[in-house]
This record gives sequence, structure tokens and C-alpha cells, in this order.
Amino acid sequence: MTAVLLALAVLATLMLGAVLAVAMDRRIAQLAAGLARQRIETEAPDRLNRNLAPVWYFALAAAGLSVVPFAPGLALLDSPVGIVIWGACEALTIVAVFLHGWSPNAPFPLIGAYRYVAIGLPVMLPSMFVLIAAALPAQSLSLLAIVESQREMWNVTRQPLGLPLFTIVVLTLTLRGPMDFADAADIATGTSAEESGAARVVWEVARAAMLVSASAIAATVFLGGPLGPVLPGPAWLWIKTAALMAIFTWLGHRVARTTPSRMLTILWVILLPLSFVHLAIAGVIAL
Amino acid sequence: MAVSLLSCLASRAPAPVFAAIGPGWQAAVERLLARTGLRGALTPRDAGILLVAGEMPDNTAEALNRVHDQLPRPRAILRWTRSHETVDDIAARIGASWRNLGAIDEQDLLPDQPPNEWKCVGPHGQGGKGMMGGTPYGRPMAMTGEDIRDGLQLDRYTARIGPFAPMLPPGLVLEVTLQGDVIVAATVQHQPFAQPADVDAPELCAARMLRLLGLGGPARRAVRGGRPGGLWVRGAVPRGLGMIEGAGDARDRLAAFLRGDSPVVAAFDLPGLLPGLEWSEAMLVLASVPPSAVLRAASLPEDA
Amino acid sequence: MIDLLVALLAAFAVWTGWRVFRVDSMVRASFSLMLSFIAVGGIGVLLSAPYIGVATVFMMAVEMMVMAIFMVMFMMNPAGLNPMSMVHQHRFSIGAGIVAAVALGAAVLLSPLPSDPVLSETDVVADLGHELLGPSMLIFETAGVTLLATMVGAVILSSRQGRYGDSDEGSRPPGLTPDGDPAGRQPEEGGGHDHHGGHG
Repeated sequence: MTAVLLALAVLATLMLGAVLAVAMDRRIAQLAAGLARQRIETEAPDRLNRNLAPVWYFALAAAGLSVVPFAPGLALLDSPVGIVIWGACEALTIVAVFLHGWSPNAPFPLIGAYRYVAIGLPVMLPSMFVLIAAALPAQSLSLLAIVESQREMWNVTRQPLGLPLFTIVVLTLTLRGPMDFADAADIATGTSAEESGAARVVWEVARAAMLVSASAIAATVFLGGPLGPVLPGPAWLWIKTAALMAIFTWLGHRVARTTPSRMLTILWVILLPLSFVHLAIAGVIAL
Repeated sequence: MAVSLLSCLASRAPAPVFAAIGPGWQAAVERLLARTGLRGALTPRDAGILLVAGEMPDNTAEALNRVHDQLPRPRAILRWTRSHETVDDIAARIGASWRNLGAIDEQDLLPDQPPNEWKCVGPHGQGGKGMMGGTPYGRPMAMTGEDIRDGLQLDRYTARIGPFAPMLPPGLVLEVTLQGDVIVAATVQHQPFAQPADVDAPELCAARMLRLLGLGGPARRAVRGGRPGGLWVRGAVPRGLGMIEGAGDARDRLAAFLRGDSPVVAAFDLPGLLPGLEWSEAMLVLASVPPSAVLRAASLPEDA
Repeated sequence: MIDLLVALLAAFAVWTGWRVFRVDSMVRASFSLMLSFIAVGGIGVLLSAPYIGVATVFMMAVEMMVMAIFMVMFMMNPAGLNPMSMVHQHRFSIGAGIVAAVALGAAVLLSPLPSDPVLSETDVVADLGHELLGPSMLIFETAGVTLLATMVGAVILSSRQGRYGDSDEGSRPPGLTPDGDPAGRQPEEGGGHDHHGGHG
């Protein structure tokens, strides 16, 4: 019974959250208009992946959200390795975006796809270190234990580098702003360059759903998730998720995007050592 | 009920316009696309209205037809050729077209056939050496060549990026050989269209670069004359990119545009500046040079 | 129920493994292999090894993605527009495949497999952690450091930047005396063989 309720909660959060994300981008009317346009076929595409890539992106968002506890001790997928499941969702997201760009069989989408992979794979490393550092005080890889370990103090205060580094990861997973190398303007919107009509809209909705999912994970791991004084657990989770979604949307619209090779240098030379240091400090404190 | 809700929402959407800009119309079109109620589409697939501004030379007719066929249906073509039609008039025409789009059905202008025949031998379609294919539809398989930065053997892909590409100056046709997204060779096949001097206005140049940096909203604000308001704008352009004698690098030129100055760029070698740059760096460099300087640089080899 | 799921996942893994050789594009082959590994990871999760199963999925997604990128880099043939035959040396590989299948099948069927079910209250992740950093620490740590050293060494060896100049030109140190020869062994002429883009 609780499993059914939790499944409904996950789906409802994903759907309504995606609508909220599109509204924060002020693109609801634009996507509604896009649904009426014709779907174009390119020459000799990989039909299966072209049709399914947005579906997989959305399914990974749903899988990521299903490990998030909606109330202390209640998650749809109560796994002892919740953090690693989210990590696997992140890695498979990169595969989904690559397939979205590779399957139309056109040069600009392909460039967007492998540029994104060149940036996305290094971003997985700070993501892992930051999440492991958050798992150290909880002494468990399960998200429910991580929430329990934040009863006295949230992880954002006792591990201050965690949320800024995770922001970079969220922006990469949702193809926003400074990390949007897949759908960039200089390659004519990259992986979406040959998409029109309903397929384009579904891709945008899947991106929005991934924003909901990633913000929910960030809220759980860094802001205590469903913990909070007066309101019930799910309400606090939704409030924190919505706040983080607003922050990530704002950053996506405001921060400039540099060139891929420079971003690679920044990732490997600055952000990865920073996440090492972050993990080392968290480890020393936990010992 | 859902359908009418959807169509009610859709009618409030900004009209997606893909602009094919002709000689002399670049500044006007860029100012038009910054208005509310319109948005400039970054790819023809995202657009519903093809705005043909100015008189196109005859040798670009086929390219224009190809761009037209790339717009998904329902689509409309609007021509903006009379200079006494103001920006407000054309914006109103675009809005009216967008709302009445379902009533028009523009047919494709080019035949729905591949331009070259399929050439192959063998059961899987191969025809080349060993395991490889022949030339399906006239496209040979990319073969390896040396990477110009460190000598690895990577595949090379040659393509012609055409006169109406949204990230290139209008009219410029570049034949680029790419290894991945690194340009290893670039030749100018067709010069950019001639534009009057007002296309060098600093706010327009700043807006072009801001769009390439992913800041669409600040770009529109810049064109309308306000402060763009992005974060880390100058820092996002790598230092030393696109260094031209006497005009600094791309970051200095962007800083100048944002201040409101128009830097004077002397003649430079356009096909020599691009090889070795990644595609996004090359687009940033092309956008950082005022269009009249790009036109001068692209026409230099032509007078041989 | 679990047996049925394990059997289905095993069948899926075998089918996608077979598809690796039948699809006509290297990128599709990489991702077919990824699906096969994901099925194996699923079996791991069902057999009470959740960390190993999910980590297999995570690692294989990243690894197959890197392999697909290398396919695109060295074969810029998106989505198989240029048709290719993906297999070569048919007779030898079929023979090797049959021998390997028979040998591995015999090993699995003839060896006594353990059958002590894991109690449902055991904290398998903690047990795995204690094992990795306890009795098996030597092998995992040396394997990890060896892999890292190999990767760093491969990048340095293939980099064009040598210590004293480009490695294409031999990267020789300056001479002991002005215009003299450098110290140490002199390399013979004729280094560097001719690469040609061979794919078959």
C-alpha cells in the first residue's frame, strides 16, 4: 500500500515538477506550440534510439527520484546503495544524451553529443566524491541513512564545498547554462538540431524532469530532504526541491558558457582536486 | 478541451523565426529578432516562419530552398525587401502569420531524393577496401589524417557550412575539414554579403558573442540598449583566443563591445586564423570581429 | 520468482552479446555490450550483491561510453550510414568462440558451486567494505595503483611533447659541448613507422 502511494508520489512530483521547471524557464507556451509542428525525419537515422532517447532520459529521472525518501524512512526504492543508484543514473544520462545526438546521423548533433561526453564523464568524478563525502557521516550509502544523519546539522553547513560542486553536476545533467555543451547555440542547438515537433518537446520535458530529480537528490543529500519542524516530510522535500530548482534555473540563464577545452581544464585542474580535498576533510572529520 | 487549452497556450508563444539574411539587412533583422513576441530560432527545425530579408543573389537560391525545406510544416515564408516597411510592420506581419499558420501549407521546393546515387558493391553495401563501404549517395567514408595538434591519426570530415548558417556571418560559405570539432582546414567558398556600417554597432556585436556564450536573454537586452547582465561573461572567453595584430584577442574585443566602443580591426588572414581552433572557439573568434572586417578578410584571396 | 528473473536477465545478456556482432555500426555494438553488462549487474543485485550489481552498471555505462567515443573518433561514421561488415577472421573466431564456450560451460557445470543463502538481515555493503579494506586490501590497492600508473604512462608515451622537444624528432637533450652529441645512447635512424588508416 505504501509502495503504491510512494510510486504515485514519485510520478506526481516528476510531472508537476517538470511543469514547474518549464514554467521557471518561461517556455510553457513555446513548448505547447512546438507540439503542433511536424516531426522531421533525417536520412538513415538510428530510429530506435532517436525515438527512445528522450524516453530513457525521462526514465533515468524517474529512477533517480525513486531512491529519494519522501518522509524519514520511506522511499520507493529503499536500497542500501541509494547513492550508487543515483550515480548509475548520472552515467546512463550521459549515454542517453550521446545517443540523442548520434542517432539523427547529422554532423552538428554528433558534435554536440561527443562534446557533452567529453565534459560529462569528468563531471562524474566530483559528483562521486561529493556524494561519498556526504555518505561518510551517515556511515552508509543509503539515502535514508544520509537523511537521518542530518538531524542535528545539514550537510550543506558541515561540508560547505559539497553543494557548489554538486551544482556543476546538476547543470551538466540537465544541459543548462555554463555546462550546456550538448545543445549549444554555436552548433545550432547541437543534439536537438535535427529535432522538431513533438520529439523536441519531449526532450525538453525530459530535461525538466531530470532537473526535478537532481534537485531532489541535492535537497536530500545536502539540505536534509524531508526533515523539518512543522510541515510533513513530503512538503519539506517539495519546498527544498523547488528552491533548488529556482537557483539552478537562475544560474543556467545567467552564467556564461566557456569553450569545451577550457571547461575541461577547469574540471580536471580545479574542480577535481577541490573535490579530493573536500572528501579528505570529510574523511578526517568522520574518523 | 485539452486541445483548445493547448492551442490557447500555443497562440501566446513567441513566433519562432529563422532569418535568412541578405545583403544589407543584417542590422535590421537582428534588431527585429530582439523584440518580444518573436524569437530567433537557432536551427531551421525549430522555426515556423522563414524570414527572407533582402534580395538574395542567384547563386544562393538552391541553399535558400534547402533551408526552406528544413523548416517543419506548417511553415510560412515572409519576404522583407522594401526598406520602407518598418520593424513594427514586419513584426505585426510575422505575428499574424504565426497565428494563422495552420491555414497555409507550403510545399517542399526541392525533390525528396538524395542528390547523388548510391554506389556500393557487396552484400552489406560495402564497396571499398576490405570491410568498408563504398560511397553511399556520394559521401565517402571519412579516412584518417594526422591531428594537427599532436600527430594522432584521427578521422577527417569535410563539409560545407552554408550561406544561411545562424552562427556564421550571413552569406559566408566555409568549407571546413573537421577532426572531431577541431578545424584542420578552412577555405572561404563564398564571401559574406555586404552590409552597411551600422552592423558594426557595439551592442549588436556584443549580442552575437553573448548568444554564442549561451546567454540568450542578456543578448536581447544588449540589442535593446540595456545592460546585458550576465555573470562571468568576459572570463568565459579564453585568453589569447583569436589574437589579431593591433586588435587584441577575443576577450579584449568583447570587453570593448560591452563598453560601447567599436574596435578597429585591420586586415587579417581568415583561413589562417581558424585551423587548430575548436568549433566553438572558431565561432567566438568570427563573432568577435566586426562584420565589415570579416568581409574584408574573406575577400582578400578573391582578387588573385 | 528470483530464479525466473535471473534466467530472463541471463537470456537478455546472451542475446545482446550476440547482437554485438550482428549490428552494423560500432557505436551500436558498444551499447549492445553495455546492455549485456547491465543485465549482468541486474543479476548481481538479485543475488544480494547490490553494490556490485549497481557499480557494474555505473562502470559499464562509463566504459562503453568511452569506447563509443573512440569508435566515433577513429571511425567518423555516424549511425552506420556507410555500411560496414563488422566481423573479420570468421573461421578463427568461430572456432575460438566454440572452444571458449565449451570450456567455460564445463567449468561452470562441473565445479561444485556453493549454496549458502545470505541471511536477509546481513548488511552486505558493510561486509563488502570490510572485505575490501581488510583481507583483500593488498590486491585491490595494487590493482588500482597499477591501473592508474598504466593510464598515466600510456598518455605520456603517446604524447607528442617530449622532454626536450617533439617526440617525432627524437626529443634528444642538448649536447655536452656546444654542437656536440648528447650524452648517452644514440638512437638509430629510421624511427617512426608509416601509419596508414587501415580498418580491415
